[in-house]
Amino acid sequence: MMDEKFDCIIVGAGIAGLAAAMILARNNMKFLLIEKGEFAGSKNVSGGVLWGSDLAKLVPNYWEEEDGGWERFINHRRLTFMDDQSTFSIDFKSSHFNETPYSGVVVLRSKFDRWLAGKVQEEIDNSDYAMESFIATNIKVDEILMEDDKAVGIRTGEEEFHADSVIISEGVNNLLTRQVGLQDDYVPADHMLTGIKEVIRYDQKVLEDRFQLNGLSGMSNEFVGFATDGVEGGGFLYTNRDTISLGLVAGIKDMREKEKSPHDLLNTFKGHPVIQDTIKGGEVVEYSAHVVSSGDKRAMPKELYKDGVLLCGESANLLMNAGKAIQGMDYAMRSGILGAETIVKARERDDFTSNTLKEYKQALKESYVMKDINSFQDAVHMLHNPTMYQDVPNLICDFGRKFFTIDNEPTKKSRELMSESIKEHSSYWDLIKIGFKGAKSL
Amino acid sequence: MKLMDLTERLGLVSYRNQAKSDIKPHITVDTDICNSTCPHKCTTYVCPANCYTMDEDGKVHFQVEDCIECGTCMYACDQGAVDWNYPDPEIGRGVTWNFG
Repeated sequence: MMDEKFDCIIVGAGIAGLAAAMILARNNMKFLLIEKGEFAGSKNVSGGVLWGSDLAKLVPNYWEEEDGGWERFINHRRLTFMDDQSTFSIDFKSSHFNETPYSGVVVLRSKFDRWLAGKVQEEIDNSDYAMESFIATNIKVDEILMEDDKAVGIRTGEEEFHADSVIISEGVNNLLTRQVGLQDDYVPADHMLTGIKEVIRYDQKVLEDRFQLNGLSGMSNEFVGFATDGVEGGGFLYTNRDTISLGLVAGIKDMREKEKSPHDLLNTFKGHPVIQDTIKGGEVVEYSAHVVSSGDKRAMPKELYKDGVLLCGESANLLMNAGKAIQGMDYAMRSGILGAETIVKARERDDFTSNTLKEYKQALKESYVMKDINSFQDAVHMLHNPTMYQDVPNLICDFGRKFFTIDNEPTKKSRELMSESIKEHSSYWDLIKIGFKGAKSL
Repeated sequence: MKLMDLTERLGLVSYRNQAKSDIKPHITVDTDICNSTCPHKCTTYVCPANCYTMDEDGKVHFQVEDCIECGTCMYACDQGAVDWNYPDPEIGRGVTWNFG
């Protein structure tokens, strides 16, 4: 294993790294996938929903498996605005989403990534390099080896492994990306958020009844407003098999300036009367946290490649929350696939320089990943506007309370109620500004 | 549902080399910076594992034991006091998520 040169070394067995490995194995490439945790997924945290149908490209008919690595498929979406007492939700459920391939599955990464790694191993076993490609865990990569500014391998402790190419899929805390000069050594807090969550367990029957789940169907619920107590960000609730993932993402710079602690925010969210009713009776079985990027392009690395090296997934800050969903794992999967396809081309041409690797950037640009990131930048900026994460949820809930109050007094027309709520919590001018931005951005 | 405090929450986290007394810290903090020029000492409240604490005299202290490798402090500290790395699988105290 040690002496020979690999076609590719992939650093990090998260979703991007595993997706890349699957493609490399399928194309009979000789590669090494390195993971610092005890097993793939052991150090990974997400909200999280894996959106879209790319999983079916990696694991065809994954839904037929009795106990696959995923938790539930999403056929029920809910967006909830909150003030301190109320919630006002947009709720959409459709049997249309029961069709396979599903358009989103909830995952718990310690289980999901481990399962996906098993699938990758099967693919390796069926490849020409069954005995020469490896998934190696418990290894921390200390350095990407560079020769004449071209990546030629990696170093772990005293040991070196050499390869024609390196895929960096190390996640958002991208130390190696910085080491090779693709991102600044210090990344400011401005466009970074802390994700924090609890996994809460229920009797499965209780969970299914409470959230109206049928078989393996599931719900995703995002929250804006009081959830983050004045800090930019939002909340989420996803249903797993017999647990829920309940958490928040909160802007780091905003927490710094407003002197807020993420764990206090999580308790504020959990303590909300409506959330209390929603989650009662459960038992917390895990508390976790992880940084996520926001989708703001200003946070992204300067470039996605250089000679001998590619960035995939959150290493390249490929994540976006444009209000409709938090997408990160699907971007990781697609970028891993496209990155590996480029490495396959590079092998065919025996050219691992930027000349070939720049095609990865082009492929990503032509894919929905960069298309969406590019076209929804205004929406990303808008969500970071206090009007959007504070005033709008407050006025919507205020309107809701007035609209649904029946108190044996003459009832005002909705338009009048809305007007009152707007004046109380915002101004027409602010809303016109945000509405204009909104219309443009979505 | 009862809310949990941070100690109870961290009690649910599994760490590697938990029993080892002699671990190699993966993060080093130059608390001289925190305690001289830093205007906000924000790590003492933004860290989700409360690895950074402030004593009665307002001095910042750091302990790595409860770290869950989230990365928050690496971005939050804009003063250059935090040298962040991943724990060594063998001699560091790294987190292993049961759910993730």
